[in-house]
Amino acid sequence: MSKINVMFSSRPKLLSEVIRNLIDHQPDMRVAGEVVDPIELIFALRKMPVDVVIITPLKPDGNPRICSQLLKEHPELLILTLTDDNQAVYIFQSDARRKRVEQPSEQTLIDIIHECLPLRSDRGPGTVFTGPEPDDRKRD
Amino acid sequence: MTKDLPVRIFIADDNCLLLEGLVTMLGEQDDFLVIGTAPNGNKAIELIRNLKPDIALIDIGMPDKDGIEVTQTLHQELPEVRVIILGLIDLTDEIMACIEAGATGYVLKESSFDCLVETIRSVCRNETFCSPRIAASLFSRIAELTGETRQNLPADSVKLTARELDVINLIAEGLSNKEIAGRLFIETQTVKNHIHNILDKLHLHNRFETVIYARDRKLLKNS
Repeated sequence: MSKINVMFSSRPKLLSEVIRNLIDHQPDMRVAGEVVDPIELIFALRKMPVDVVIITPLKPDGNPRICSQLLKEHPELLILTLTDDNQAVYIFQSDARRKRVEQPSEQTLIDIIHECLPLRSDRGPGTVFTGPEPDDRKRD
Repeated sequence: MTKDLPVRIFIADDNCLLLEGLVTMLGEQDDFLVIGTAPNGNKAIELIRNLKPDIALIDIGMPDKDGIEVTQTLHQELPEVRVIILGLIDLTDEIMACIEAGATGYVLKESSFDCLVETIRSVCRNETFCSPRIAASLFSRIAELTGETRQNLPADSVKLTARELDVINLIAEGLSNKEIAGRLFIETQTVKNHIHNILDKLHLHNRFETVIYARDRKLLKNS
């Protein structure tokens, strides 16, 4: 069985090492690579397509254009972005589904990856979530 | 903390992902045992009072009670618990505030996990392990403080002897060591000794600085 390839761009370094350790400990996943700046993901994925990208941090109200670009080039991709306070994770896929999960734990991240990836084949042409939900604006 | 027993560690951080990850990774070290965690400062203090860990890793930016407040409380109530702060930025004032609050270590979250492990082990050995970035910040701050102390030093707080003042006045007249020795009826080596002591007392580097110093503080006879 081929493993789920994960690439990430994460700061601070301690969190980056935590994510790497988490992925390394999953029997069905492997770390395909890591970049310092999220913008480097665009070039990295052109050379080596992966299944999942994890980006942290991203400001809660930031417009994650990088996600739009990545999904445009790699429609199969699952992107998880952690907010800069790490209090929530956003799930980006190229279909209409998008989700904000509060207080993500290690298990949450793994569950999200397992839940989202099998659904990739059902995906239709969709929209990309490029901002916080209306409820999120109230929160922030 | 005895040599054979694992180091008992408590971790407080509101970042759930980082907290869990650190529990896992520190737990993989043979000589560490993570005995508890907390997602905020108040809970951390409550649990640490009961658990009394050897080391408390405290995130500086928790919402209810920040790392500095937690450190102050722990330092007052449980001075035997050694606090290592997990900081986000190497702001010198912040690091100094942590040290003043009683922290025995400060690790940037931008540091590697190996650096964190090394810091914990160093603190357990009653040593301090400092990343180069933090060391640079601290040295910079110490230099600032030392400079302020020097500038604020009143002239009469430096105890110059009458003979040393004589030497300074003669230096200000432009005399050489030999000429000063002749004027004061002492050996040239004795003049050198006086100058050495003057520079040492005033934290100066050369004769020129000594004259400037004496002139500014009106220590020269004709000033």
